Amino acid sequence: MSRHLVPYVRWWWLLVVASVLAIWPTCRDRQASQRGEELFQQHCAICHEASNLDLKKQPPKLEGLFQSKTLPSGAPVTDEQVRKTIINGIGTMPAFDQRLSTEDVNDLLAYLHQLK
Amino acid sequence: MTLRKLAYLSLMATVLAMACRSGHKHYALRGQVMDKNSATSEITVNHEEIPGFMPAMTMPYKVKDPAVVEEVEPGDKIAAEVVLNDDGKSYWLEDVRITDESARKSTPPPAPSERLDVGQPVPDLPLVNQDGKTIHFSDFKGKAVLLTFVYTRCPMPNFCPRLSSQFARIHDDLAKTPDLIAKTHLLTVSFDPKYDTAPVLRRYGLAYLDNDTSGFAQWDFASAAPGDLRALANAFGLLYFEQGNQISHSMDIVLISPAGKIAKYWATDWTEAELEDALRTEATAAPARQTVQTGRLQ
Repeated sequence: MSRHLVPYVRWWWLLVVASVLAIWPTCRDRQASQRGEELFQQHCAICHEASNLDLKKQPPKLEGLFQSKTLPSGAPVTDEQVRKTIINGIGTMPAFDQRLSTEDVNDLLAYLHQLK
Repeated sequence: MTLRKLAYLSLMATVLAMACRSGHKHYALRGQVMDKNSATSEITVNHEEIPGFMPAMTMPYKVKDPAVVEEVEPGDKIAAEVVLNDDGKSYWLEDVRITDESARKSTPPPAPSERLDVGQPVPDLPLVNQDGKTIHFSDFKGKAVLLTFVYTRCPMPNFCPRLSSQFARIHDDLAKTPDLIAKTHLLTVSFDPKYDTAPVLRRYGLAYLDNDTSGFAQWDFASAAPGDLRALANAFGLLYFEQGNQISHSMDIVLISPAGKIAKYWATDWTEAELEDALRTEATAAPARQTVQTGRLQ
Protein backbone atom coordinates (compact mmCIF):
# COMPACT_ATOMS: atom_id res chain seq x y z
CA MET A 1 0.00 0.00 0.00
CA SER A 2 1.54 3.30 -1.00
CA ARG A 3 2.44 5.80 1.66
CA HIS A 4 -0.16 8.41 0.63
CA LEU A 5 -3.00 5.95 1.39
CA VAL A 6 -1.97 5.35 5.02
CA PRO A 7 -3.95 8.26 6.54
CA TYR A 8 -7.09 7.07 4.73
CA VAL A 9 -6.65 3.52 5.95
CA ARG A 10 -6.40 4.70 9.56
CA TRP A 11 -9.44 6.87 9.05
CA TRP A 12 -11.30 3.89 7.62
CA TRP A 13 -10.64 1.65 10.57
CA LEU A 14 -11.83 4.36 12.95
CA LEU A 15 -14.98 4.70 10.89
CA VAL A 16 -15.57 0.94 10.91
CA VAL A 17 -15.06 0.67 14.67
CA ALA A 18 -17.22 3.74 15.37
CA SER A 19 -20.00 2.47 13.11
CA VAL A 20 -20.02 -0.97 14.64
CA LEU A 21 -20.07 0.52 18.13
CA ALA A 22 -22.89 2.86 17.15
CA ILE A 23 -25.04 0.27 15.41
CA TRP A 24 -24.30 -2.78 17.53
CA PRO A 25 -26.63 -1.92 20.45
CA THR A 26 -29.52 -1.35 18.04
CA CYS A 27 -28.71 -4.56 16.22
CA ARG A 28 -28.45 -6.50 19.48
CA ASP A 29 -31.75 -5.03 20.73
CA ARG A 30 -33.40 -5.96 17.49
CA GLN A 31 -32.11 -9.51 17.69
CA ALA A 32 -33.32 -9.75 21.30
CA SER A 33 -36.70 -8.44 20.23
CA GLN A 34 -36.89 -10.92 17.36
CA ARG A 35 -36.02 -13.80 19.63
CA GLY A 36 -38.55 -12.44 22.12
CA GLU A 37 -41.15 -12.46 19.39
CA GLU A 38 -40.43 -16.10 18.63
CA LEU A 39 -40.73 -16.93 22.33
CA PHE A 40 -43.95 -14.95 22.47
CA GLN A 41 -45.36 -17.03 19.64
CA GLN A 42 -44.26 -20.25 21.33
CA HIS A 43 -45.45 -19.55 24.83
CA CYS A 44 -47.77 -16.55 25.01
CA ALA A 45 -49.72 -16.12 21.78
CA ILE A 46 -51.73 -19.31 22.32
CA CYS A 47 -53.59 -17.44 25.07
CA HIS A 48 -52.86 -13.73 24.65
CA GLU A 49 -53.69 -13.60 20.96
CA ALA A 50 -56.62 -16.00 21.08
CA SER A 51 -60.28 -15.11 21.39
CA ASN A 52 -63.22 -16.84 23.02
CA LEU A 53 -61.20 -19.40 24.91
CA ASP A 54 -63.20 -21.65 27.20
CA LEU A 55 -61.62 -20.07 30.26
CA LYS A 56 -62.90 -18.42 33.39
CA LYS A 57 -61.13 -15.22 32.39
CA GLN A 58 -60.03 -14.25 28.90
CA PRO A 59 -56.29 -13.52 28.80
CA PRO A 60 -55.66 -9.83 28.03
CA LYS A 61 -54.17 -8.67 24.75
CA LEU A 62 -50.67 -7.33 25.28
CA GLU A 63 -50.35 -4.75 22.50
CA GLY A 64 -49.25 -1.43 23.97
CA LEU A 65 -48.49 -3.04 27.33
CA PHE A 66 -45.53 -0.81 28.04
CA GLN A 67 -47.40 2.26 26.87
CA SER A 68 -49.97 1.64 29.62
CA LYS A 69 -49.60 2.92 33.14
CA THR A 70 -50.72 -0.30 34.76
CA LEU A 71 -50.77 -3.99 34.03
CA PRO A 72 -54.14 -5.75 33.71
CA SER A 73 -53.63 -6.73 37.37
CA GLY A 74 -53.41 -3.06 38.33
CA ALA A 75 -49.70 -3.23 39.17
CA PRO A 76 -47.40 -0.63 37.64
CA VAL A 77 -45.88 -1.50 34.29
CA THR A 78 -42.22 -2.11 35.01
CA ASP A 79 -39.78 -4.67 33.67
CA GLU A 80 -39.51 -6.25 37.07
CA GLN A 81 -43.28 -6.52 37.53
CA VAL A 82 -43.74 -8.09 34.10
CA ARG A 83 -40.80 -10.44 34.76
CA LYS A 84 -42.40 -11.47 38.06
CA THR A 85 -45.73 -12.06 36.32
CA ILE A 86 -44.14 -14.27 33.66
CA ILE A 87 -42.12 -16.33 36.13
CA ASN A 88 -44.69 -16.69 38.92
CA GLY A 89 -47.89 -16.41 36.93
CA ILE A 90 -50.79 -14.36 38.18
CA GLY A 91 -54.43 -15.24 38.62
CA THR A 92 -55.22 -18.01 36.17
CA MET A 93 -52.07 -17.34 34.13
CA PRO A 94 -49.66 -20.25 34.69
CA ALA A 95 -46.15 -19.71 36.00
CA PHE A 96 -43.35 -20.06 33.50
CA ASP A 97 -40.88 -20.76 36.28
CA GLN A 98 -38.21 -23.29 35.21
CA ARG A 99 -39.51 -23.08 31.67
CA LEU A 100 -38.10 -19.74 30.57
CA SER A 101 -34.53 -18.68 31.35
CA THR A 102 -33.52 -15.19 32.48
CA GLU A 103 -32.31 -14.53 28.93
CA ASP A 104 -35.65 -15.74 27.53
CA VAL A 105 -37.54 -13.32 29.76
CA ASN A 106 -35.15 -10.49 28.85
CA ASP A 107 -35.85 -11.12 25.18
CA LEU A 108 -39.59 -11.35 25.80
CA LEU A 109 -39.45 -8.00 27.60
CA ALA A 110 -37.56 -6.52 24.65
CA TYR A 111 -40.35 -7.68 22.37
CA LEU A 112 -43.15 -6.54 24.68
CA HIS A 113 -41.54 -3.09 24.86
CA GLN A 114 -41.89 -2.61 21.13
CA LEU A 115 -45.31 -4.31 20.85
CA LYS A 116 -47.51 -1.37 19.95
CA MET B 1 -11.00 7.15 -2.79
CA THR B 2 -14.55 8.43 -2.62
CA LEU B 3 -15.75 5.42 -4.54
CA ARG B 4 -13.76 3.10 -2.37
CA LYS B 5 -15.24 4.75 0.74
CA LEU B 6 -18.68 4.26 -0.65
CA ALA B 7 -17.91 0.66 -1.44
CA TYR B 8 -16.69 0.03 2.09
CA LEU B 9 -19.73 1.81 3.52
CA SER B 10 -22.05 -0.30 1.38
CA LEU B 11 -20.26 -3.47 2.36
CA MET B 12 -20.44 -2.57 6.03
CA ALA B 13 -24.11 -1.64 5.81
CA THR B 14 -24.86 -4.91 4.06
CA VAL B 15 -23.02 -6.95 6.68
CA LEU B 16 -24.80 -5.16 9.53
CA ALA B 17 -28.16 -5.41 7.81
CA MET B 18 -27.68 -9.13 7.28
CA ALA B 19 -26.78 -9.57 10.92
CA CYS B 20 -30.02 -7.88 11.94
CA ARG B 21 -32.16 -9.32 9.20
CA SER B 22 -35.35 -11.16 10.02
CA GLY B 23 -36.36 -14.13 7.90
CA HIS B 24 -39.27 -16.26 6.80
CA LYS B 25 -38.27 -19.32 8.77
CA HIS B 26 -38.99 -22.98 8.20
CA TYR B 27 -38.53 -25.67 10.82
CA ALA B 28 -38.96 -29.42 10.48
CA LEU B 29 -41.58 -30.94 12.78
CA ARG B 30 -42.11 -34.60 13.61
CA GLY B 31 -44.81 -35.72 15.97
CA GLN B 32 -48.11 -37.40 16.62
CA VAL B 33 -51.52 -35.86 16.09
CA MET B 34 -53.42 -35.73 19.36
CA ASP B 35 -56.50 -33.82 18.28
CA LYS B 36 -57.92 -31.86 15.38
CA ASN B 37 -60.40 -29.06 14.91
CA SER B 38 -61.84 -28.59 11.43
CA ALA B 39 -63.61 -25.36 12.41
CA THR B 40 -60.34 -23.62 13.20
CA SER B 41 -58.14 -25.63 10.79
CA GLU B 42 -55.97 -26.68 13.69
CA ILE B 43 -54.31 -29.91 14.68
CA THR B 44 -52.80 -30.52 18.10
CA VAL B 45 -49.45 -32.23 17.77
CA ASN B 46 -47.31 -33.94 20.38
CA HIS B 47 -44.03 -33.19 18.67
CA GLU B 48 -40.35 -33.79 19.17
CA GLU B 49 -37.98 -30.92 19.84
CA ILE B 50 -37.87 -28.47 16.95
CA PRO B 51 -34.26 -27.24 17.09
CA GLY B 52 -34.08 -23.47 17.15
CA PHE B 53 -37.81 -23.07 17.53
CA MET B 54 -39.38 -25.04 20.33
CA PRO B 55 -38.76 -27.82 22.83
CA ALA B 56 -40.76 -31.03 22.61
CA MET B 57 -44.35 -30.33 23.60
CA THR B 58 -47.99 -30.78 22.74
CA MET B 59 -49.63 -27.77 21.16
CA PRO B 60 -52.13 -26.81 18.46
CA TYR B 61 -50.98 -25.58 15.05
CA LYS B 62 -52.93 -23.92 12.28
CA VAL B 63 -52.66 -25.83 9.04
CA LYS B 64 -52.32 -23.87 5.83
CA ASP B 65 -54.30 -26.38 3.78
CA PRO B 66 -57.66 -27.07 5.52
CA ALA B 67 -57.97 -30.35 3.58
CA VAL B 68 -55.11 -31.69 5.69
CA VAL B 69 -57.25 -31.40 8.83
CA GLU B 70 -59.80 -33.70 7.22
CA GLU B 71 -57.10 -36.11 6.17
CA VAL B 72 -55.21 -36.61 9.41
CA GLU B 73 -56.64 -38.38 12.43
CA PRO B 74 -55.57 -38.47 16.06
CA GLY B 75 -52.87 -41.07 16.49
CA ASP B 76 -51.28 -40.40 13.08
CA LYS B 77 -47.56 -39.73 13.09
CA ILE B 78 -46.69 -36.82 10.84
CA ALA B 79 -43.81 -34.85 9.43
CA ALA B 80 -44.38 -31.23 8.49
CA GLU B 81 -42.79 -27.82 8.19
CA VAL B 82 -43.51 -25.14 10.72
CA VAL B 83 -43.41 -21.81 8.92
CA LEU B 84 -42.84 -18.70 11.00
CA ASN B 85 -44.11 -15.68 9.13
CA ASP B 86 -41.79 -12.79 8.20
CA ASP B 87 -43.51 -10.61 10.74
CA GLY B 88 -42.98 -13.37 13.34
CA LYS B 89 -46.56 -12.93 14.48
CA SER B 90 -47.99 -16.08 13.08
CA TYR B 91 -46.93 -19.59 12.29
CA TRP B 92 -48.56 -22.56 10.67
CA LEU B 93 -47.89 -26.00 9.28
CA GLU B 94 -47.19 -26.70 5.65
CA ASP B 95 -46.29 -29.84 3.74
CA VAL B 96 -47.93 -32.13 6.29
CA ARG B 97 -47.21 -35.77 5.52
CA ILE B 98 -48.60 -38.76 7.39
CA THR B 99 -45.62 -41.02 8.08
CA ASP B 100 -47.41 -43.69 10.08
CA GLU B 101 -51.12 -44.19 10.50
CA SER B 102 -50.93 -47.53 12.30
CA ALA B 103 -51.85 -45.83 15.60
CA ARG B 104 -54.77 -43.95 14.05
CA LYS B 105 -57.66 -43.58 16.42
CA SER B 106 -61.04 -43.23 14.86
CA THR B 107 -62.52 -43.85 18.27
CA PRO B 108 -61.46 -42.48 21.66
CA PRO B 109 -58.22 -44.04 22.92
CA PRO B 110 -58.69 -47.21 24.90
CA ALA B 111 -58.18 -46.89 28.61
CA PRO B 112 -55.33 -48.78 30.22
CA SER B 113 -56.38 -52.20 31.36
CA GLU B 114 -55.57 -51.34 34.95
CA ARG B 115 -58.32 -48.74 35.06
CA LEU B 116 -60.94 -49.46 37.65
CA ASP B 117 -64.31 -50.46 36.32
CA VAL B 118 -67.42 -48.49 37.07
CA GLY B 119 -68.76 -49.68 40.40
CA GLN B 120 -65.36 -50.49 41.89
CA PRO B 121 -64.26 -48.66 45.04
CA VAL B 122 -61.78 -45.82 44.74
CA PRO B 123 -58.39 -46.53 46.38
CA ASP B 124 -58.21 -44.55 49.59
CA LEU B 125 -54.77 -43.06 49.00
CA PRO B 126 -53.64 -39.99 50.95
CA LEU B 127 -53.56 -36.58 49.29
CA VAL B 128 -52.27 -33.27 50.62
CA ASN B 129 -54.56 -30.34 49.95
CA GLN B 130 -54.02 -26.62 49.49
CA ASP B 131 -53.87 -26.10 53.25
CA GLY B 132 -51.18 -28.74 53.70
CA LYS B 133 -53.75 -31.04 55.27
CA THR B 134 -53.77 -34.76 54.49
CA ILE B 135 -57.08 -35.86 53.04
CA HIS B 136 -58.44 -39.20 51.81
CA PHE B 137 -61.16 -40.11 49.37
CA SER B 138 -62.98 -41.66 52.32
CA ASP B 139 -63.36 -38.15 53.76
CA PHE B 140 -65.91 -37.52 51.02
CA LYS B 141 -68.12 -40.56 51.71
CA GLY B 142 -71.72 -39.49 51.42
CA LYS B 143 -70.88 -36.94 48.72
CA ALA B 144 -70.70 -37.24 44.98
CA VAL B 145 -67.20 -36.19 43.95
CA LEU B 146 -66.10 -34.85 40.60
CA LEU B 147 -62.38 -35.49 40.25
CA THR B 148 -59.90 -34.30 37.68
CA PHE B 149 -56.16 -33.96 37.25
CA VAL B 150 -54.19 -30.89 36.20
CA TYR B 151 -50.85 -29.24 36.76
CA THR B 152 -50.72 -25.56 37.61
CA ARG B 153 -48.04 -24.62 35.08
CA CYS B 154 -49.97 -26.12 32.18
CA PRO B 155 -49.75 -23.49 29.42
CA MET B 156 -52.32 -25.08 27.10
CA PRO B 157 -55.60 -23.20 27.37
CA ASN B 158 -57.62 -26.14 26.07
CA PHE B 159 -56.22 -28.53 28.64
CA CYS B 160 -55.79 -27.84 32.37
CA PRO B 161 -56.94 -24.18 32.38
CA ARG B 162 -60.09 -25.23 30.54
CA LEU B 163 -60.75 -28.07 32.98
CA SER B 164 -60.28 -25.79 35.97
CA SER B 165 -62.47 -23.12 34.37
CA GLN B 166 -65.22 -25.67 33.84
CA PHE B 167 -64.92 -26.86 37.42
CA ALA B 168 -65.03 -23.23 38.60
CA ARG B 169 -68.30 -22.61 36.79
CA ILE B 170 -69.75 -25.87 38.13
CA HIS B 171 -68.66 -24.79 41.60
CA ASP B 172 -70.36 -21.42 41.17
CA ASP B 173 -73.55 -23.11 40.00
CA LEU B 174 -73.61 -25.60 42.86
CA ALA B 175 -73.08 -22.78 45.34
CA LYS B 176 -76.47 -21.42 44.26
CA THR B 177 -78.14 -24.64 45.37
CA PRO B 178 -77.53 -25.02 49.12
CA ASP B 179 -79.05 -28.54 49.16
CA LEU B 180 -76.33 -29.75 46.86
CA ILE B 181 -73.41 -28.12 48.64
CA ALA B 182 -73.47 -30.75 51.37
CA LYS B 183 -73.84 -33.57 48.88
CA THR B 184 -71.12 -32.74 46.37
CA HIS B 185 -67.43 -32.05 46.27
CA LEU B 186 -64.93 -31.08 43.60
CA LEU B 187 -61.40 -32.41 43.70
CA THR B 188 -58.52 -31.31 41.51
CA VAL B 189 -55.36 -33.37 41.85
CA SER B 190 -52.02 -32.21 40.48
CA PHE B 191 -49.70 -34.57 38.66
CA ASP B 192 -46.79 -32.22 39.27
CA PRO B 193 -46.25 -32.74 43.01
CA LYS B 194 -42.69 -31.41 42.85
CA TYR B 195 -43.84 -27.94 41.79
CA ASP B 196 -47.44 -27.94 42.95
CA THR B 197 -46.90 -27.67 46.67
CA ALA B 198 -49.71 -26.69 49.01
CA PRO B 199 -49.04 -22.90 48.72
CA VAL B 200 -48.88 -23.13 44.92
CA LEU B 201 -52.14 -25.10 44.84
CA ARG B 202 -53.74 -22.63 47.21
CA ARG B 203 -52.84 -19.71 44.97
CA TYR B 204 -54.02 -21.63 41.91
CA GLY B 205 -57.30 -22.54 43.59
CA LEU B 206 -57.96 -19.00 44.74
CA ALA B 207 -57.61 -17.76 41.17
CA TYR B 208 -60.50 -20.03 40.19
CA LEU B 209 -62.49 -19.28 43.35
CA ASP B 210 -62.39 -15.51 42.88
CA ASN B 211 -60.11 -15.28 45.93
CA ASP B 212 -62.86 -16.62 48.17
CA THR B 213 -61.17 -19.04 50.58
CA SER B 214 -64.54 -20.40 51.69
CA GLY B 215 -64.73 -22.10 48.30
CA PHE B 216 -62.11 -24.61 49.44
CA ALA B 217 -64.79 -26.19 51.64
CA GLN B 218 -66.32 -27.56 48.47
CA TRP B 219 -63.33 -27.78 46.17
CA ASP B 220 -59.99 -29.22 47.20
CA PHE B 221 -56.78 -28.80 45.23
CA ALA B 222 -54.40 -31.56 46.19
CA SER B 223 -51.22 -33.37 45.29
CA ALA B 224 -50.01 -36.85 46.14
CA ALA B 225 -46.64 -38.45 46.78
CA PRO B 226 -45.20 -39.57 43.41
CA GLY B 227 -45.81 -43.29 44.11
CA ASP B 228 -49.38 -42.68 45.23
CA LEU B 229 -49.97 -40.41 42.26
CA ARG B 230 -48.88 -43.13 39.85
CA ALA B 231 -51.17 -45.61 41.61
CA LEU B 232 -54.07 -43.14 41.37
CA ALA B 233 -53.34 -42.46 37.71
CA ASN B 234 -53.37 -46.17 36.95
CA ALA B 235 -56.57 -46.64 38.91
CA PHE B 236 -58.31 -43.90 36.92
CA GLY B 237 -56.69 -44.56 33.55
CA LEU B 238 -54.79 -41.29 33.52
CA LEU B 239 -51.75 -41.12 31.27
CA TYR B 240 -49.02 -38.61 32.07
CA PHE B 241 -45.31 -38.28 31.59
CA GLU B 242 -42.79 -35.49 31.86
CA GLN B 243 -41.48 -34.06 28.61
CA GLY B 244 -38.76 -31.53 29.26
CA ASN B 245 -40.31 -28.89 31.46
CA GLN B 246 -43.84 -29.83 30.54
CA ILE B 247 -46.09 -32.72 31.38
CA SER B 248 -47.90 -34.50 28.60
CA HIS B 249 -51.12 -35.97 29.84
CA SER B 250 -54.52 -37.24 29.00
CA MET B 251 -57.56 -35.46 30.32
CA ASP B 252 -59.70 -37.47 32.64
CA ILE B 253 -62.67 -36.64 34.75
CA VAL B 254 -64.02 -39.17 37.20
CA LEU B 255 -67.35 -39.12 38.98
CA ILE B 256 -67.24 -40.89 42.33
CA SER B 257 -70.45 -41.95 43.99
CA PRO B 258 -71.35 -41.05 47.59
CA ALA B 259 -70.48 -44.67 48.38
CA GLY B 260 -66.91 -44.05 47.21
CA LYS B 261 -67.20 -46.03 44.00
CA ILE B 262 -66.45 -45.13 40.41
CA ALA B 263 -69.68 -43.90 38.84
CA LYS B 264 -68.52 -42.57 35.49
CA TYR B 265 -65.51 -41.60 33.41
CA TRP B 266 -65.03 -38.91 30.81
CA ALA B 267 -61.83 -38.99 28.82
CA THR B 268 -62.21 -37.31 25.48
CA ASP B 269 -65.41 -35.38 25.20
CA TRP B 270 -67.81 -33.87 27.62
CA THR B 271 -69.72 -30.69 28.18
CA GLU B 272 -69.83 -28.69 31.33
CA ALA B 273 -73.59 -29.20 31.54
CA GLU B 274 -73.11 -32.95 31.21
CA LEU B 275 -70.62 -33.00 34.08
CA GLU B 276 -72.81 -30.90 36.29
CA ASP B 277 -75.95 -32.89 35.54
CA ALA B 278 -74.16 -36.15 36.27
CA LEU B 279 -72.80 -34.78 39.55
CA ARG B 280 -76.24 -33.55 40.61
CA THR B 281 -77.86 -36.84 39.65
CA GLU B 282 -75.24 -38.87 41.49
CA ALA B 283 -75.55 -36.69 44.58
CA THR B 284 -79.30 -37.09 44.75
CA ALA B 285 -79.58 -40.70 43.55
CA ALA B 286 -80.90 -43.31 45.96
CA PRO B 287 -78.08 -45.47 47.38
CA ALA B 288 -79.52 -48.63 45.80
CA ARG B 289 -79.34 -47.05 42.37
CA GLN B 290 -75.74 -46.02 42.83
CA THR B 291 -74.56 -49.58 43.09
CA VAL B 292 -76.04 -50.58 39.78
CA GLN B 293 -75.41 -47.43 37.81
CA THR B 294 -73.31 -48.05 34.77
CA GLY B 295 -71.29 -45.16 33.46
CA ARG B 296 -70.39 -44.60 29.87
CA LEU B 297 -67.11 -46.32 29.33
CA GLN B 298 -64.85 -44.80 26.74
